[in-house]
Amino acid sequence: MADMLFSVPGIINGRFIGFLLDIAMAALVYYYIKTRKMVHIRRVPGLDAIEEAVGRSAEMGKPVICSFGIGGFTYWTLAGLSILSHVARLSAKTGSRLIVPTGGGDQALIVRPVAEEIVKTAYTMEGAEDQYNPDDLPFYSGQQYAYIGGYVGVMQRIRPGSVIMTGSHASEAMNIAETSNAVGAITITSGSYIGNVAALACASDYILIGEEAPAAGAYLSEDPSQRASIRVQDLFKWLAIAIVVLGIAARSLGNDFLLRLLST
Amino acid sequence: MAEILKNRQLQIIVMLLSFLFVFLPYFLNVPQLNTASTKLITITSIVTAFTVALAVLAQFRRGINIINRRSRGWYFKAYMLMTLVLMLGFSLISRETGPYHWVMFAVVNPLSSVNYGILAFYMASTAARAFRARNTKALLLLLSGFIVLIYQAPLTGAYFTGFEPIALYLGSTFGLAAGRMFLISVTVGAIVFGVRVIMGNEPSVLGLSKEE
Repeated sequence: MADMLFSVPGIINGRFIGFLLDIAMAALVYYYIKTRKMVHIRRVPGLDAIEEAVGRSAEMGKPVICSFGIGGFTYWTLAGLSILSHVARLSAKTGSRLIVPTGGGDQALIVRPVAEEIVKTAYTMEGAEDQYNPDDLPFYSGQQYAYIGGYVGVMQRIRPGSVIMTGSHASEAMNIAETSNAVGAITITSGSYIGNVAALACASDYILIGEEAPAAGAYLSEDPSQRASIRVQDLFKWLAIAIVVLGIAARSLGNDFLLRLLST
Repeated sequence: MAEILKNRQLQIIVMLLSFLFVFLPYFLNVPQLNTASTKLITITSIVTAFTVALAVLAQFRRGINIINRRSRGWYFKAYMLMTLVLMLGFSLISRETGPYHWVMFAVVNPLSSVNYGILAFYMASTAARAFRARNTKALLLLLSGFIVLIYQAPLTGAYFTGFEPIALYLGSTFGLAAGRMFLISVTVGAIVFGVRVIMGNEPSVLGLSKEE
């Protein structure tokens, strides 16, 4: 690591700028939500396609499959649950049967009751409590590949109209995406780790990359203040790009100021 | 009591405090915060262990309910519950030898390996669909995919050594740059998502509706 420009008492060396950036980002999100600022946000085709996919399933009279991953309460799982909530509401609204395969890891046992609550709440909010069936949230296994056996099996048997796979899926993501494609379902996936993204991008009809999946809750919300918070993501991505370009230019000219600043 | 614990404000306050106890010690040099953070992480591990036990219990109740109702495929549930009890019992005796070890290493692991091996066919069928030069982007994908494939495959990699520097260049420049941009965007997304959760603007992840 390069030499720091300065040190700040009470703050661990090398973490000051990171701390400031985190605070700035949190403050901006707060600002955008509280001021209900109307901003332009770019379209995310993968998220726009969710409504189309559920609608298509309803038209065809086929079920929708939506999974939130095999991990515990990680950031990806939470993002997946946020999407599940939206899919459940759409399914309840359109009268589509929603199947949520659960399991895949010991930690998934903990997430399952929350997922059940989310789906139940969504059906209740749409006034379709009678359509909610807890048996449509099957627990396949605590083992990754036993879970995927169940998941692929149910896709082959019921031939869903759409498969929305979010959350932290590992190597089994390809089994799901390809089987979904083989049964003719609209496939929407989110790549939770870099090793998966390229393969999933080829296998899926739509893919949510990077920050698009966690933005789903706000993006799909009808509340403009929520949607505005997504703007912060775009702003900080531009900041990151600017730092990268400036850093390359500065280092090429033999200047290490930016490097030292970021090491502070 | 259950109503108090289900209270949305209370859940968000607990979440906010837990977040601060883990977030701040990463940046601030305050030994007391570090101690509190370590203790919180220990408490979380213990609570998680209890939650797994509760989740297994919930599975049991659900499974028995399905068996009693004789719902479709109830015998699979009965089989699952039976194996669950058996494996739990076997694991208490020994995990290194005996039936538990046998089931894991002679049944579960080989079957998992088969499922993992099937991925090769899935990858091949995906590649067959994706690697079609329908436009410029697809042509670039096809070319770079072909070069990397030739380099990675043992036989062609050994005979066509000229592909090696191009494949390594593609990986260490475009591949690495895209990977880092992915990490940056995931990090930015995680922070913004986290702030929304802490502010109570993502109630769905707690299993709550917006109106609660």
